[in-house]
Amino acid sequence: MTRIAAVGDVHLGEDARGRMRPALERLGDHADVLLLAGDLTRHGTVEEARVVADEFADLPVPVVAVLGNHDHHSDQQDEITALLDDRGIRVLEGDGVVLTLDGCRVGIAGVKGFGGGFAGKCGSNFGEREMKAFVGHTVGIAERLREALAALDADMKIALTHYAPVPDTLRGEPPEIHPFLGSYLLGEAIDANHADLAVHGHAHFGTEHGLTPGGVRVRNVAQPIIRTAYTVYDVRPAGVPASAAG
Amino acid sequence: MTTSGGTTQEPESAQYLAARLQRALAEDARTTEQGVRVTVRGEHVLLSGDVACAERRTEVEAVVHEAAPGLQVLNDVRVVPVGEPVGQEEIR
Repeated sequence: MTRIAAVGDVHLGEDARGRMRPALERLGDHADVLLLAGDLTRHGTVEEARVVADEFADLPVPVVAVLGNHDHHSDQQDEITALLDDRGIRVLEGDGVVLTLDGCRVGIAGVKGFGGGFAGKCGSNFGEREMKAFVGHTVGIAERLREALAALDADMKIALTHYAPVPDTLRGEPPEIHPFLGSYLLGEAIDANHADLAVHGHAHFGTEHGLTPGGVRVRNVAQPIIRTAYTVYDVRPAGVPASAAG
Repeated sequence: MTTSGGTTQEPESAQYLAARLQRALAEDARTTEQGVRVTVRGEHVLLSGDVACAERRTEVEAVVHEAAPGLQVLNDVRVVPVGEPVGQEEIR
């Protein structure tokens, strides 16, 4: 069993400096790893990323993150990634990391993700170049998530994204904006690799709990949803894929 | 979309006004908030959702007031709690 702490959408900046740190000091009592599900900053600047680093660096457990759409707003995502990596916060984008936690090899694959919508109500890679660019961005990201999850040599696999892989965790958001909040292509990549858990953020008015069509638990950890510094999931790997059981 | 800051000759429809204010909150560099909902009811604008600190709660109200000065802003935006969690969820 591994204790996975997670939070997304902390939207830090100089004005929120130090707010979260007190609750993080005893993180090691609660969890074995901390996942950050994107939108770490507000405007996506390096200055805000420094606040993020000061808040989440040098914690008693490893910290693994993906960036979100806010972290891309100022086109400084590469600098933000480098800064956080330099402070020991591992930022994933189309790759993964395997951590040995309490004897269990926990593999985490991460991507930002993107929109497009969900099965039967989604955009297609067709028509104007702007539409093809939009959907093509998601197609490429989902493929990288699929490959990153497949490459993990681990006892437990976790998918970390900012955008949602299922509509379940968007309940509370207007259905009209679901195509801007996630894509079924992410869920498909997660199911193809029989992940043990999928964690995302982005949907502030959504719901914490969801399930992929393949039976993988999905958790929306956007901070306005969980309403704490982080939440903790005690996860035991399934061992047998859901599809093999039936 | 009107760009006249809510001072057009004809009354702006509630639907267009809500859309304009929602965009102002997302696109104004002072706020860049996508997690605040805007509901227009008559002469009232209701703001709801969560932000990361008290300053931002004040900022969203200021941006909306600036964009629609004739309306009364009802600010129900909350500052998101950041305490330690109690308990954990077991996933088997």
